[in-house]
Amino acid sequence: MNNFGVVELASAKTTHAPGWAYVPDTRPAPGSAALPSNRKRAARNHAGLSLSDASARQDAKIRKDLEVLDRDTHKDANIAIPPRTGGSRAQNKHTTNVRKILQSQKTFANHLDDYQALVALAETNPAAAAALNPANAQPKPAPPPTARNSPAPQPTPSTTTSKRSAAAAKRAAAAAAKEEKERKEREAREAEEAAEAAAAAEAERKSTAAPDDNNNNSSDNNCPPTAPPDVEMADASSLLPQAYPADGTILAAYAKPPPAPHAGDADPLLVSHVPAFPTDDELHALMTAPPLSYLEARARWGDDEQRYPARAFCEVCGHWGKVRCVKCGARACALDCLEAHREECVTRYGL
Amino acid sequence: MAGGRKSKPAGPAPPSRTLVLDNGASTIKAGFVTDTATDAPRVVPNCIARDRHRKTFVGSELEKCKDFGEIAFRRPVEKGFIVNWEAQKEIWDREFFDDKAPQRCDPSETRLVLAEQSNSLPALQLHCDQMVFEEFGFASYCRGNGPAFNAYNDVQAIFQTPRTPDTTIDIPAEVMLLIDSGYSHTTVTPIVQGRPLHPAIRRLDVGGKLMTNYLTRLLSVRHFDMRNDPYIVNEMKETACYISLDFKGDLEKTWKGTRGQRSQDYLTGAGIAKDYVLPDSHTRFHGVIRDYEPGVSAKARKGAVSTEDILTLRNERFVVPELLFNPSDIGIRQPGLGDLVMQSLSVLPVGLWPGLLANIVVVGGNSLFENFIQRLQTEILERVPDSCIVRVARPEDPVTSTWLGAASFAKHQHVEKLAVTKQEYEENGAGWIVRKFSAGLGVES
Ligand SMILES: [Zn+2]
Ligand SMILES: [Zn+2]
Repeated sequence: MNNFGVVELASAKTTHAPGWAYVPDTRPAPGSAALPSNRKRAARNHAGLSLSDASARQDAKIRKDLEVLDRDTHKDANIAIPPRTGGSRAQNKHTTNVRKILQSQKTFANHLDDYQALVALAETNPAAAAALNPANAQPKPAPPPTARNSPAPQPTPSTTTSKRSAAAAKRAAAAAAKEEKERKEREAREAEEAAEAAAAAEAERKSTAAPDDNNNNSSDNNCPPTAPPDVEMADASSLLPQAYPADGTILAAYAKPPPAPHAGDADPLLVSHVPAFPTDDELHALMTAPPLSYLEARARWGDDEQRYPARAFCEVCGHWGKVRCVKCGARACALDCLEAHREECVTRYGL
Repeated sequence: MAGGRKSKPAGPAPPSRTLVLDNGASTIKAGFVTDTATDAPRVVPNCIARDRHRKTFVGSELEKCKDFGEIAFRRPVEKGFIVNWEAQKEIWDREFFDDKAPQRCDPSETRLVLAEQSNSLPALQLHCDQMVFEEFGFASYCRGNGPAFNAYNDVQAIFQTPRTPDTTIDIPAEVMLLIDSGYSHTTVTPIVQGRPLHPAIRRLDVGGKLMTNYLTRLLSVRHFDMRNDPYIVNEMKETACYISLDFKGDLEKTWKGTRGQRSQDYLTGAGIAKDYVLPDSHTRFHGVIRDYEPGVSAKARKGAVSTEDILTLRNERFVVPELLFNPSDIGIRQPGLGDLVMQSLSVLPVGLWPGLLANIVVVGGNSLFENFIQRLQTEILERVPDSCIVRVARPEDPVTSTWLGAASFAKHQHVEKLAVTKQEYEENGAGWIVRKFSAGLGVES
């Protein structure tokens, strides 16, 4: 292709072309949209679409793309179980529980929604949750009413989840009411009861042990990843002899003979700073702490990491995304790739 | 359910044979353990597959499949957990319980030790326990934390720590930090004496599946539509992708340059570009990686040289596994593996850090990417005080490591503390078992 001798260089200058513009991109990555918008740059953008439209398009595309990347198969493969060619063992009759489990077509997402709904129910209506929960009948201290004043004790579910959760919570509540009358069908219900028992036990743990959980939940955000060790380690240097407490029983003390003395042992510059070893009580608490829920264990950005803008790449060739399409926010490395993108962009969003 | 007597059973002797399963989303690792012997595990595809000739393969039958073009998979394990028991039971039946099963056992005379992923949903755990006892009828059963089973391996041997002949081998290891990067996700698990420290377990939702899907997308944009060929793309990912130790530099070397001025590195390939010959389903059933020859893939596409389908891989080779360290590259709002480790440590007493950082073990299929260990070590060193010793190691076979640990656990006295019998299940109910396994080993004090 003849490029008329023009060699383009990525620069900080804004260049206009009919319908297209090079916009040097210093904007934070799509997604960290909470930052105040740059009014100057918005005013500079004369194209029909505002930058926020373009980034909304880009956000929507990223969300859709991630959903696709999370899928197990490109097409929904409805692969039926093939018949056995013989040699199978005699089939015993399934129990009610097993029949239900084998017939279930629920996905992981369905199960996660059910769980979140149950946890929500246990918070708003402990009685209903307890009714669903006979296997967990041992008395527990009722949570103080003030314990519920934190706005979001659960890790934030996505909006779709919360909608589904609300519906599932209704279902669960209805089931709880019905349950009083249906004491007879004990066996048939056993499966659900026990599952819910575990979920509700989890919820109860949260409501009774709220302070602990809040610590856990907020730890991602509140602990700067690298700051504390320096401070504490310096403090700990005076505690060197206790580094492995002799009376610790969980982790054995260092029993080997100490290394031969060295001339530099007394040199303050060479003293190694060994942080104090946790006490047996601390270790005991950690080793017996209950598992977090699925969403609690999912790592989230801390405040620190959110500050760094995400890296942006050319959607065509994968090099740095130095320029942006003003129409849809897609990135490109240079004019070649922006043109290649243009074809796709026009099909998707029109001219 | 029979046998409702409340008396504590004297308890028959535990079964002498244990089936150890690491039931992963991609493969099942399975083998038997007795007091005297530990079998080598079989690695069985955990899927029901259908090829383009509409022939179906269950589990290890996939070995018989030659043509993986347009093959489709159904997987019972989703996000690391057994979700679809209809499919899982079919695979287990054929592998373990049918008369002709390759690893046949009689569950009523067998103990099952099953490794599970952390932070499961109670309902899924319950379903699992009910299937194990009510459908398969195992005599004894233990569902344990998969990452923590790795502590029952000889961890210092993985680090090749020098030791004298009289050194006692700690089983389980005293302190270690286990990173498991598998098909569904990547987790960080601090472990003290075989107990996972639950408050500090963190998960990054980047695993082998996501990376294969991402490579599929890149290829589809730049080369061919390969969305119906997950097997072929996965194979390409495993043979051709690597973790960059100089991301910026590698990205620069793979750029084509500006129009009219192709960069020299691009023309020569700069040692990064590789030609990948796709399987043709007639003579070649697996892809082949070759050194880059300028122009070959273009000519091949025109049919001038041969009938081979060749594509040139450039930055695709390293931007795909880069997602483990920079998931935000594709908009995933989660920290990368380096920060994941720091977030896990941040909830633990600082006194535990030196022990954990000096004993980082990486398992799971993704740890096989070239440079994984070096890159992880660099990322962690950037985030901890200079005085910290950071050791990162990968066991000889990171795919079967969890299984081997679970097999060692099955011989350790700890298994007796955790295992439950069918009789206990019938007497105490399923909810009791879910709680017992959640409580784990506990600590005697
Ligand atoms: Zn480009
Ligand atoms: Zn566009």
